[in-house]
Amino acid sequence: MWSVSDDALVAGLATGDRDAASAFVQRFQRRVFGLARTIVADDRAAEDVAQEAFVRAWKHAAAYDPRRGSVVGWLLTITRNLAIDAVRVRRPIAFDPATLVGLDRASTERAPAELAELGDDTARLRVALSRLPEDQCRAIVLSGLLGYTAREVGEIEDIPLGTAKTRIRTALIRLRAALVSEERAE
Amino acid sequence: MSTYTCVQLRDAAPELALGILGGAERAEALIHLTNCTRCQAYVAELTEAADTIPLLALEHEPPPGFDQRVLARFGAGRRRSTRRWVASIAVAAAAAAILSITIVRVVDANNPVNQAGGATTSTSTSTPSTAAPTIVQARMVSATTGTSAGWVSVAGRQVAIAVDYGVDSGTYGIVVHPGKDAVLIGDMSITANRGSWTGTSTVDVPAGSEIALVDAQGNAVCQGTVATSR
Repeated sequence: MWSVSDDALVAGLATGDRDAASAFVQRFQRRVFGLARTIVADDRAAEDVAQEAFVRAWKHAAAYDPRRGSVVGWLLTITRNLAIDAVRVRRPIAFDPATLVGLDRASTERAPAELAELGDDTARLRVALSRLPEDQCRAIVLSGLLGYTAREVGEIEDIPLGTAKTRIRTALIRLRAALVSEERAE
Repeated sequence: MSTYTCVQLRDAAPELALGILGGAERAEALIHLTNCTRCQAYVAELTEAADTIPLLALEHEPPPGFDQRVLARFGAGRRRSTRRWVASIAVAAAAAAILSITIVRVVDANNPVNQAGGATTSTSTSTPSTAAPTIVQARMVSATTGTSAGWVSVAGRQVAIAVDYGVDSGTYGIVVHPGKDAVLIGDMSITANRGSWTGTSTVDVPAGSEIALVDAQGNAVCQGTVATSR
């Protein structure tokens, strides 16, 4: 739909280009709103967070550095931090991390050749995550996506703090290894 | 508690990369990273992986009119100018006396004996450190609300600051006020209430020193008092 690169859109946003700003919002609004909604679990609060995330991105577009990561990664990190701040006090909720992030059996069973063809970072990440043991998968979704601290993960999962820390650590290290090996396979 | 070893840092690195490490632990970790390029590289690798995790969230169509409401806010808001900030930092550095007055005012506002000028600032909540002599810490509190804004750790002239609450996005000057003149030692960015900075102070930072973040106008937004080492 848009042939302009993400980086070019951010550059346009930084210069105050109205069309670039509009295209930027339209391109990323489903991702930004989806992430905010996943974390705050309330549509109205999610809209506030998503709006604020775009405003922050607009204000700081000139400081965006492509060498430090993708546009979508930058924008979603802003969104995540705002959403976590918006729900500082919250009750642990029972949920299935596989459902929350759209993991399914089909993606788990893909052949390596098929995986390489997926190309999309998100698809590769989902596959890497689905290959983690379930307890580690939950730990990394709770901490990395929803922003729960190791202590909170321990409380939610009813495990000692040390075990929660170990699960988070092991999961992230394995995720990192999986992403690196898939990059090399391409 | 002393400055982290490489083993301790690597233990804490995943939580640091995921942004879920508490202020005090984060400050300890950042102090270690100042001097350890191998650990820096390790944390950078993990951060790269951690930063992909928000991609996992499923897309969802926002309510109708969302994009127009966002664009309306772009029109209404005022963008901060990085260039203007750089210029004002230069002015602020040259006019140390002005900064000095600003900091003194914040310090005085925290002094119960002299509350006259500090109606908006609550009592100091600087926390005595439990650190070994090599590292001291202080809680940074908001200059306007008096609530906790983050932590500052000092080891010799090394300074690590971790802010995780209550400071608006933007770039702030870092000012050390060891007791006489205030000295600008760097600047740090805050995005979505979070930011961290590590570096070396150009002046000694003895116990009792004030460390503050100042905005482009030279006003302190949060500050902490370096506790006595014990």
